[in-house]
Amino acid sequence: MTAGQLSAMLVALGEHHDRGAFRQLFDHFAPRLKSFYLKAGTNPQMAEELVQETFTQIWRKAHLYRPDKAAASTWIFTIARNQRIDRLRSEKSFVYKDEDFFASKLVSDEEQTTEVHRNELVERVSKAMALLPSNQAEIVSMAFYDEATHAEIAQKLSLPLGTVKSRMRLAFGRLRNILSEVEA
Amino acid sequence: MIHHHLSDEMILAYAAGSLSAGQAMVVACHLDICPACAARVAEAEVIGGALIADVEETAVSDDLFNQILVDVDEAQSFPEPERTGASASGDLSSSSYLDGRYVPRLLANMIGDDFAAVRWRTVGPGIRQFVLPVPSSEGEKVRLLKLSPGFVTPDHSHHGSELTLVLKGSFSDDTGRYRVGDIQDAEEDMHHQPMADTEEDCICLVCTDAPLEFKGVITRLLQPIIGI
Repeated sequence: MTAGQLSAMLVALGEHHDRGAFRQLFDHFAPRLKSFYLKAGTNPQMAEELVQETFTQIWRKAHLYRPDKAAASTWIFTIARNQRIDRLRSEKSFVYKDEDFFASKLVSDEEQTTEVHRNELVERVSKAMALLPSNQAEIVSMAFYDEATHAEIAQKLSLPLGTVKSRMRLAFGRLRNILSEVEA
Repeated sequence: MIHHHLSDEMILAYAAGSLSAGQAMVVACHLDICPACAARVAEAEVIGGALIADVEETAVSDDLFNQILVDVDEAQSFPEPERTGASASGDLSSSSYLDGRYVPRLLANMIGDDFAAVRWRTVGPGIRQFVLPVPSSEGEKVRLLKLSPGFVTPDHSHHGSELTLVLKGSFSDDTGRYRVGDIQDAEEDMHHQPMADTEEDCICLVCTDAPLEFKGVITRLLQPIIGI
């Protein structure tokens, strides 16, 4: 399914709890989210519990989804990340708990973007991720999948902390360039 | 107007969910008042979405979807979250930025929105603190610091990092002037002597992940007493 189709499914789910759309979102995202949770170090049973909780959240919160603010995969990532923190790193769940990007000023309204832009962005960022130097891609994936702090990454890879931070900066800088090209 | 923003690596780590609890809290409080950094977090979250879109698939149990349907049918009887979370439960759920002070929502939930009502403890001349009852990560402390006007904190260096968000007043050090909403990420090995630089108290939200090391002999002697 394309990013545009996934967005449309999420909108349909939000508007009238469309079960067909819910099923399609599940078929697309559930096997990916299971991998996401397994990478965080859970066993298969807990990974499925987390997938189950995530989809319950998606059902409950879909009416908050705004296709001009985020692609479906971006929005679902934030829900999955918060769910992972809630279950595995509960000491920081109070920070991420009630986060609601679309009701707060977190995404500024003056930003002129459209749904098409958002979805194109995801596809281009995906392509750019594949082109990142492997030592930058490795660090980005340790942060997002393993939830490793900068210090933990430095320790695991036997690198100075400054090197970890500068690689993260370089990776993000490269991806942000792509974003600004799309938005321009 | 905010002049000191978060670094790219902090933005990325916050979006990934990989900051420690205390750092994530201070970052979230800055994001609440800084649309520019908030927009960058939203950009970093695109990366998270792209990673999920591209990850390999792992088969899920056949009946998982049906279990989810059972869950959502049960959940139907509960009210759904409102769109306007900020105004739902009065002042304490939204950040207030009044009279030159900023009380982030996360903080207001803990201490109310009045710094005068905080039970400050004097920790040395010109410096008071309130250690926040937050569930922090190991070795980490989150506190409010109140510096008296003109007070210069002892010269200190860090083994770990010190993340500081100004909530009231302002301070200056060699790296610049920090006013309400500004954030400073003092790196490892950095020496600095922040000074409250106006007629009013400077109140900051600070997360440290290792005890600070002061330079002078006297301040080093004081350190176990001060407890910072």
